[in-house]
Amino acid sequence: MSMLEQYFSTDWASMTTHDWAGLIVTVLVFFGMLITFYLALRPSKRKELEEQKYKILNDD
Amino acid sequence: MDTTAKPQYDDGVVKYLTVGATVFLVIGTLVGTFAAAQLAWPVLNFDIAEITFARLRVIHTNTVIFAFGGMTLMATAFYTVQRTNGVRLWSNGLAWWTAILFTIGLLATVTSIGLGITTGKEYHEQEWPIAIAIALVWTLYTFNFILTIASRNKETHSHVYVSNWFFMGMMIAITYLYVINGLAIPVSLFQSYPLFGGVQGAMIQWWWGHNAVGFFLTAGFLAIMYYFVPKQAQRPIYSYRLSVIHFWALMFGYVWLGAHHLQYTALPDWTGSLGAVISLAMIIPSWGGALNGMLTLSGAWDRLRTDYILRFLIMSLAFYAMSTFEGPVMAAKSVNALSHYTDWTIGHVHSGALGWVAMVSIGAIYHMVMKLWKTEMYSMQLINIHFWLATIGTVFYIVAMWVSGIMQGLMWRAYDEYGTLAYTFAESVSAMHPYYVMRTFGGFIFFLGAVVMLYNIVMTIRTAEARSANKVESLA
Repeated sequence: MSMLEQYFSTDWASMTTHDWAGLIVTVLVFFGMLITFYLALRPSKRKELEEQKYKILNDD
Repeated sequence: MDTTAKPQYDDGVVKYLTVGATVFLVIGTLVGTFAAAQLAWPVLNFDIAEITFARLRVIHTNTVIFAFGGMTLMATAFYTVQRTNGVRLWSNGLAWWTAILFTIGLLATVTSIGLGITTGKEYHEQEWPIAIAIALVWTLYTFNFILTIASRNKETHSHVYVSNWFFMGMMIAITYLYVINGLAIPVSLFQSYPLFGGVQGAMIQWWWGHNAVGFFLTAGFLAIMYYFVPKQAQRPIYSYRLSVIHFWALMFGYVWLGAHHLQYTALPDWTGSLGAVISLAMIIPSWGGALNGMLTLSGAWDRLRTDYILRFLIMSLAFYAMSTFEGPVMAAKSVNALSHYTDWTIGHVHSGALGWVAMVSIGAIYHMVMKLWKTEMYSMQLINIHFWLATIGTVFYIVAMWVSGIMQGLMWRAYDEYGTLAYTFAESVSAMHPYYVMRTFGGFIFFLGAVVMLYNIVMTIRTAEARSANKVESLA
């Protein structure tokens, strides 16, 4: 086993329920972030989002 | 039908909370300055239990964070939610109840702490009856805010402006964090034992503790920034898309950081590492947000020469950027080994609290006072003086604590040639004296600025009508 493989090796059998819950939440949050970044940064959304910033300038 | 008429808003409760926040800023900084003086000159404890450093320090944190900060958040939330959604509050009566009960809860908190009644949990010192009451009041605040947004005209205001997202994120996160950290078994009217003990207790405590910083003192005040910087600068925020990314990154990321307060303790090592890694990752959205606010002034930087309120808002963003870089660096294990338990932490907290939270609040309060009482400030020159007092006071404070903290850390881990400690703990305390005096001086200057602000606001309110009448006469 190379050093890299050794570093990333995981004893899956010893994972507890808490470990699995933490792992699943972490992975979901990671993908949630990716989806959010995609939704906010896609070029087709630019005009729609950026025009919101002008609306508060005359609210009072 | 007059379609050009300006909408009417419920501003009475906002006026009450705005003045209340300013009063508590003066009280909180006064108590903090006196507590700092007690560390420099312990004789000032006078052997009176109620005003010893141990109690005054906690009264100070509760007054500045929850009284000043909390009232500022309530005032700005009620002010901005109406204007960004074009509606009055869902319930003005409920807002007044919220404001009055919150004030009573704050007074009960500081009184009980003075009497020695405390859970001993940092930023959650209220014993169970007061904690339950505060949680209920906070829920009323959240309820009213969300229903105000829900009651908007969806045709004219289809989109909910980003400052409202930050406010809602703060309200929801603080509700569940405060309630879970406060879970306890009462044994008498003013004593309880926390539900979580040992390592779990520490973990839950700092899950709340750091998120009091992350959501109450950051997300809530970013909501203020995203509304008041564009309004005061009279320019739209630099990038709306960046503000959306900033919001979601903060919501997803901040909840993971708490464990960085517990490096080198009984917690599993990986929890501290995770806390440190996510802390470092948070530099990206934090700096993105700070730049988003600052670049709003692109092409109009000259406004800073003449607009003293804008100076407060932009200086606050500089401190926000600085403290959100410093925090993650201190979370890294190698740096934490030196910085933890030292005054460096106090310096870091105050660069965020004085430089970021207080300054952005002060800018927003000045802006609101002029709008709410429909007048110019009594003295713009006093705002300029306040700005310099606040900035110089903050710099004095944090520089003193940086030097003191790093010196402490180095003294505590210095060994002689025989492998024994080079300094006793008492020697390190003695070496701190000049820096504690300097910190007191910095805090006093900041307090003077708060007094100037209160005077300026009181005079603005007292002379508002007379000055409006004079203006009308001169125009006629």
